[in-house]
Amino acid sequence: MKRTFILFVALVFSATLLAQKKTTTSAVIAFDASTAIDELPKAVNKTVIGALDTKTGKVQFEAAVKNFAFTNPSIQNHFNSAKWMNSDEFPKFSFTGTINELKKIRFTKDGEYKTTVTGDLIIKDVTKPITTPVTITVNGNEITTSASFTIRLADYGITGVPIDAGKVAKEPTISVSASLK
Amino acid sequence: MAISKKTWRRLAFSGLLLALAGGGVYWYVATEKFSDTGKRKAHYNVQAQEFIREFERDNESANFKYADKIVAVSGRIAEVEQADTSVNVKFIDSASGSYVIFAFQDQHIAEARSLKEGDEVSIKGSFSSGLFSEILGTTFITFKRSALNK
Repeated sequence: MKRTFILFVALVFSATLLAQKKTTTSAVIAFDASTAIDELPKAVNKTVIGALDTKTGKVQFEAAVKNFAFTNPSIQNHFNSAKWMNSDEFPKFSFTGTINELKKIRFTKDGEYKTTVTGDLIIKDVTKPITTPVTITVNGNEITTSASFTIRLADYGITGVPIDAGKVAKEPTISVSASLK
Repeated sequence: MAISKKTWRRLAFSGLLLALAGGGVYWYVATEKFSDTGKRKAHYNVQAQEFIREFERDNESANFKYADKIVAVSGRIAEVEQADTSVNVKFIDSASGSYVIFAFQDQHIAEARSLKEGDEVSIKGSFSSGLFSEILGTTFITFKRSALNK
């Protein structure tokens, strides 16, 4: 009887722990470095891993650099090349952060909440802190997040003639959206 | 030494030809698009579970082998996941939790929507990479520009 009770408590406890961590393997990140003179440098990655801990407010994203899909083969090759993302050596982007003002968000009540997330973005092993506005929508068991921010390519050691010539934006826009369950 | 009219004409014509050729190359590169994966021949045909195990055994070798290749993967769909306005399809190794995930090419999103969990299918896509996820603690293998392999 005692053993059954302990097992029951353990099951309830682990179920609670699992419930507070929402994940997805299909978050979407759009990268837009297009400029007035070149519309091509933009891509989307639809297989990004995302996680949100509703208890602690911890937010995580992980993306395979090579899964950013461009429409143009040459631009995609440039993006992955050694001078740019060097995706053979640095195959992942990652972000780990925390929701600010977590108490304002009621994950048990449907609605749209606007807040900010602060964390570290790691690209090519370079870690930079970022803070970005984020919209969190609670709809039953599903939590949708969306955010948009810019990065400075030079901060991650990405420079070159196309950037200087204005064909690639110095500060591309990164848009993130995820439906976490 | 004065350059004759004829030489000037030749130089101007050569310059024009070079400019046209350069413009043509630029136009080709700027307007080039990835072809329809559905019409491409797969470099490899593999079974999902064995494919996943190949990455778990030796990730580096597997990534090298399939780099930039079109791979057709067959298996039973474990999950169809919403990805913004489209859907992704997954084959999962239930023992390890490792998975293969396919993002579909725009013209093939409609056929992806028709798929459901449990369907036996073959999906062809452009291999991206197989990596270890620190978040999930499993291997994830990603494909872009995928299509049903009919």
